[in-house]
Amino acid sequence: MTDPMLPPASTAMGAEPVIPAASPPDRPSLPPGRWIRENLFPNTRNSILTIFAILIALFAYRGLLNFMFSEERSWIAVRTNLRLMFTQAYPEHQYIRVWVTVGTIMVLAGVSAGIWARWGGVTVKRLMGWLMSGGVLTAAGVLVREPSVLTDAAGESVRDDAGELVRESFAAAMADRWVWWAIAIALLALGLVLWTSLDDLRRRTIEIPVAWLIFGLPALLVASTWVVRYGHYGFTEGEFIAEPGQLVAMTTRVPWTFMWLILVASFALGRAARDRAIASAQAAEETPNGGPSDEGADDDAVPELPRGALARTRTSVNLLWVLSPFFLYWVVMRDPEIDYAHVFSTMLPMGLAFGAAGAAVLWLLTRSDAGEVGRLAAIGLLLLAAFHWVAAYFGWYSMLQVARIAFLLLAVAGLLAPNFAGVAAQRRRLVGAWLFMVLIAFYGATVINSPSTVETPTDMFIGGFSVTLLVSVLTIMLSFPIGVLLALARTSRQPIFRVLSTIYIEVIRGVPLITLLLFFSGVLPLFLPDGMELAELAAAILGYTLFSAAYLAENVRGGLQSIRRGQYEAADAVGLTTTQRTGFIVLPQSLRVSIPPLVGQVIATFKETSLLAIIGLFDFLRMANSVIPNQSQFLGVRRENLLFVSVVYWVVAFAMSKYSQRLEQRVGLGQR
Amino acid sequence: MSDPREAARDASLSALGTRPPFYRDATVVRWIAQVGTLILVLAAMWFLATEAGDSLRARGANIDFDFISDYIGIQVGSGIDTNPDSGGRALWVGMVNTIRMAAAGIALASVIGVLVGLARLSSNWPLRRLAGVYVEALRNIPLLVQILVYAAVLATLPNVSFGMGPISGWIHVSNKGLSIPRVFVADGFYQWAVIMLIGAVVARITYRRLAEQREQTGAQTNAGAWATGIVAVFAIVGWWVHPIFGWLGSPLGSLADGVGAIPQGVVQLIAALAALAVAVWWIRRFLAQHRTPAGLTRLTDDDWFRMIFAVVAAAIVVLFVTVLWPGLSSWVVNSSSDGLGVLADKFGNGRTGPPIDAMRPDIVQPGNFANYGPAGLNLSIGFAAVYFGVVFYTAAFIAEIVRGGILAVPKGQSEAAQAVGLRRSTALRRVILPQALRVILPPVGNQYLNLTKNTSLAIAVGYSDLVQIGQTVYNQTGKTLQVMAVWMLFYLACSLTISAVVNFFNIRMRIVER
Amino acid sequence: MSTQPAHGDATIAVSDELAARDDMIVCREVDKWFGDFQALSGISATIKEQEIVVVLGPSGSGKSTWIRCINRLEAHQSGQIIVDGIELTNDLRNIEKIRSEVGMVFQQFNLFPHLTVLDNITLAPIWVRKKSRPEAEELAESLLERVGIPEQAQKFPGQLSGGQQQRVAIARALAMEPRVMLFDEPTSALDPEMIKEVLDVMEELARSGMTMMVVTHEMGFAREVADRIIFMEEGEIVEVGTPHHFFTEPAEERTKLFLSQVL
Ligand SMILES: Nc1ncnc2c1ncn2[C@@H]1O[C@H](COP(=O)(O)OP(=O)(O)O)[C@@H](O)[C@H]1O
Ligand SMILES: [Mg+2]
Repeated sequence: MTDPMLPPASTAMGAEPVIPAASPPDRPSLPPGRWIRENLFPNTRNSILTIFAILIALFAYRGLLNFMFSEERSWIAVRTNLRLMFTQAYPEHQYIRVWVTVGTIMVLAGVSAGIWARWGGVTVKRLMGWLMSGGVLTAAGVLVREPSVLTDAAGESVRDDAGELVRESFAAAMADRWVWWAIAIALLALGLVLWTSLDDLRRRTIEIPVAWLIFGLPALLVASTWVVRYGHYGFTEGEFIAEPGQLVAMTTRVPWTFMWLILVASFALGRAARDRAIASAQAAEETPNGGPSDEGADDDAVPELPRGALARTRTSVNLLWVLSPFFLYWVVMRDPEIDYAHVFSTMLPMGLAFGAAGAAVLWLLTRSDAGEVGRLAAIGLLLLAAFHWVAAYFGWYSMLQVARIAFLLLAVAGLLAPNFAGVAAQRRRLVGAWLFMVLIAFYGATVINSPSTVETPTDMFIGGFSVTLLVSVLTIMLSFPIGVLLALARTSRQPIFRVLSTIYIEVIRGVPLITLLLFFSGVLPLFLPDGMELAELAAAILGYTLFSAAYLAENVRGGLQSIRRGQYEAADAVGLTTTQRTGFIVLPQSLRVSIPPLVGQVIATFKETSLLAIIGLFDFLRMANSVIPNQSQFLGVRRENLLFVSVVYWVVAFAMSKYSQRLEQRVGLGQR
Repeated sequence: MSDPREAARDASLSALGTRPPFYRDATVVRWIAQVGTLILVLAAMWFLATEAGDSLRARGANIDFDFISDYIGIQVGSGIDTNPDSGGRALWVGMVNTIRMAAAGIALASVIGVLVGLARLSSNWPLRRLAGVYVEALRNIPLLVQILVYAAVLATLPNVSFGMGPISGWIHVSNKGLSIPRVFVADGFYQWAVIMLIGAVVARITYRRLAEQREQTGAQTNAGAWATGIVAVFAIVGWWVHPIFGWLGSPLGSLADGVGAIPQGVVQLIAALAALAVAVWWIRRFLAQHRTPAGLTRLTDDDWFRMIFAVVAAAIVVLFVTVLWPGLSSWVVNSSSDGLGVLADKFGNGRTGPPIDAMRPDIVQPGNFANYGPAGLNLSIGFAAVYFGVVFYTAAFIAEIVRGGILAVPKGQSEAAQAVGLRRSTALRRVILPQALRVILPPVGNQYLNLTKNTSLAIAVGYSDLVQIGQTVYNQTGKTLQVMAVWMLFYLACSLTISAVVNFFNIRMRIVER
Repeated sequence: MSTQPAHGDATIAVSDELAARDDMIVCREVDKWFGDFQALSGISATIKEQEIVVVLGPSGSGKSTWIRCINRLEAHQSGQIIVDGIELTNDLRNIEKIRSEVGMVFQQFNLFPHLTVLDNITLAPIWVRKKSRPEAEELAESLLERVGIPEQAQKFPGQLSGGQQQRVAIARALAMEPRVMLFDEPTSALDPEMIKEVLDVMEELARSGMTMMVVTHEMGFAREVADRIIFMEEGEIVEVGTPHHFFTEPAEERTKLFLSQVL
């Protein structure tokens, strides 16, 4: 990501403007009193603005706190239904699968972070700032929140003659909130102690590694579940569990502790691999073959992973990321009961036959003298593959779907063959890729077609946040290649490709997503021939994919347009084919430019999955917004759920946008 | 001479000047690929369409647009007409609601967005942070969640009761929403609109004249004031004299009849000729671009393919309108005739009332519970929730765009402005903003589009926008595809309109810049 | 040695020794239009094997257009261009062949910024010439040696000076083992102190027997290295001759005018 020379980031449509990362001037920090005077009240105009802003902030803060701490709130409902909101009615005894899924993601995340993350440190000064502002916020919250309603001996709220709630006095409220006062004072005190015990230079230079914070805070949380009695609430198979004053359930505590351990262990693994790579690269650099590296003293505390190091590991981690959604969805969430008789009698022989025959065909097509005959043969394969689909549509003859897919894959591989022609190594690479594809296709087909042994009370076996996540991830993964193809077509010099792609993109971008989803969930069945069905979720994912692809295409196009003509000409002049030019020269450069808008599109897709609620799928939002059967005591408890949902969405989206800003800055830094 | 290169060379030398076989000809191959793709796309669409037609026929539903004029018996929650007499009218109510929401939303979102964007750049720390919190909080929560939150919060407002406020008889706020005075298009509006049109033409002519005069003589002619005055005079006089245009009804009616009587063949002919004319115009333009001064036209193979394709495309269009879908032309004829008929009804000697009327809101109690009466403009909780949702959400994005645009203006500009002694606020208004606007406008136009499309989330809180009403209509009539076609056309038209407006200002700004 | 008439075929050899060699590039009545603007009109020239031809002419005279037609970055509309016996037509096979026969060096270097110097050079040998990676890397290293920057292999183009970048570009073109090298103002984007390092590489290349066609404004290079000089204006070849003839006794008024301005 840190190439020194990148074409200037385009302000493509939809892209957020690139804001130069201003590095703060290195001047001594002011004592808190002076800081307040200089920053908040330097002159009359600014003082008025400050007071105005603070009043608005306090007003909003007060509203939020009053809402959260109101006696009418029933946060127990959120806690009780937490599991429901994340996985819906996933069967209790199968829950291990969910944990395997989370664990897999933890392993991948940990290893990736270990290899790639370049977390620096947080200066003591910033930490101090956080502590102090936390203290101030807590104190302010205690002061502005309205006094609690008085309750009588039976726990009922007291009302006066007019029916209004009676609240305790301000003084009593302040006294009641001594715990909060204690927290506020503790935070402020800690900040002040840090402030006085270090001199200014140390405050600004001593750093606490971010990794400590990232792993330490969850560690605290997880550890506390073993000690602190948060209470135990739940709703499983129609039964309420409400045990205030208990420890959190074993089934929550143990897995999360494991998850934390797994995360840390895989992080350590990734870091170790990376450190080894850096060390060996440095050792290689010190051998006196090259001139002095004129990179200068890199004052970045974290060394950068040398280019090309760990290439295999990195590729495999990326590949695992790409494959994991399918794997997790099919195997872990479905647990197919595979019919081995069918596998051995049909799938395996067919797969072997396809693999072998395809390999032979590709080996022929990549002969250096295949030339146009090879191209024509590949086009013939494509026509044959297309014909199988047409025939399927009209029901002329039957064929296993996986065979049709395999034919199509073979045709695509055949079309790519000229790029790999000639050298044995490259021919082997193509054949290897083909065998891998065959494996995936046949494995996938077997798994999909096998019945699931996971029995669920409702017909949807997962719901809530897992559906939100599933739809977002699949949408992004599926729409990315389509979006890139559309963008290439739209910037192509061939008029028909350009016009088709432009019409598609503009029409899709012109209509609201919800109409498209209504179309795919409601009308699409009309378009399908008899006997062909599409699961509701699949239809929704298809709708999202086609929608998202149009937007992605525009983002990618912004990047494509930033590539100078000379790059195309140079690629042509050295004799690359169009495919090679696109794959080696054009896309690598343009995708890098489009990273910020692409991450923006990922965030947008994640947020847009909430529209699933409208077309009747039980996504995160729908779970939170709907009345759950057998829960009469939580009737009308919606705002709590909605607030909770907002916070979860916010955390995920905000984290992604911060990450993309960091990426953007790094790309910008690379520019120099 | 045993070098294989030499051998190849001799072989190709002998082939000099001959055309390569078609499968090796770069241009031909490219066009085969393109036309192949096009055929594939068209065929796929054709398959899907026939399949849909079959399924619909199997269900006894036809692809027609009769529901537009037929009574379908649905009720609309809010809008210009809560008991529409036809499906078309119902959809029209939805369109008006959507446009109303989008226009009001764009206005408020722009104001809030610009203010927050400026606040994010303020030198005042609390203000800057406050704006930052606003942006980060709102743009990272899904809009639908926000709308539902607003709806849930607004639902806790008090019930409707007589004499409620805040200003009884003028503004009422309750958990049924907001009720305010209603201004509406009344009897004589269309006749008055004709007078206004004439006024506008007269004003424009006057403006031109006066502006020309000023350019030639340098005298102050107040062209703008004159033009405004003329329009005002026409508006005021027209308020009373508009019945004089009542006679327009009968010619429009006969025009409608005339259009309706056009035989299908004529329409098909016109459409076919139009398609051919476009193709011919395009080819002529293409040739003109390739004409060298010597009068010699050099065309590559690719050029030939392009021209042939234009002809073929035109031929396909002709085939389509005449043979494949002859119903299209009669549908066009009928609907334009219907449209003219509706317009004709708007005129008439009986229509003597004022063009625009207004009513104050009222509260009625038909049963046990008091409710808003039909007189006022009732904006439901759903409206408010969607409105606040799209406004606050879009404003967060606009704020970021404004901030980026201002930061994109080189620092030297504000320094130069200060150097010539402009105050900070003047510099911002006169120097920075005009330059930033060029960066800001296109993405903000995109945001306006998003806002318009996002109003369709009204379906989640039951506000009667086009999508919500459309869904009711197709649930009632089963005309799903037709309603979706209406949606698509409407939103595409909105997109085009907004893009056109944004482009217009963009171009103007570029001219001003020179 | 004889002076040539300005019009007609500019191929008539300048010396008998040259005339005896094989033709490398043959252009016959080449025309090129951009829309209604004629950029090349009736260009006819023959360039012999191992010949060094320098093309001169004022800006906008069509030098780049001509040189770009020769490896089909632009397609000419009429006339014939034959490179090493292969005619440039729409034939996919011929275009492929030409691209690996003809190396090109651009004014703006056009290195691939996201690839290291080594990857820049090995990309085409691996994927077009179908060499194995070690083989290609060995070739790349020897070429970097030849252009004088063996130590920069692992850097990115953005980390090199202009002169170094242009030498990498030359190495990249040479890695395809071309029969002809085309240079389009290779030194125009360089600071004066870097021009020499690039010209030295080109001179070395010329001495090694490469056929070269060079558009340049470096009169010193033209005088020292060129076998022939072609002067173009407004899309036409105005005058052809040896450097000696060209710089001392140009026949055409337009040539004299041009020389008086640049010398
Ligand atoms: N792609 C193009 N489209 C239109 N005109 C062009 C194009 N490329 C070059 N020209 C025109 O062709 C003429 C010759 O250009 P060029 O070959 O670049 O000149 P030179 O390299 O001698 O300076 C110029 O007038 C230029 O404007
Ligand atoms: Mg040039």
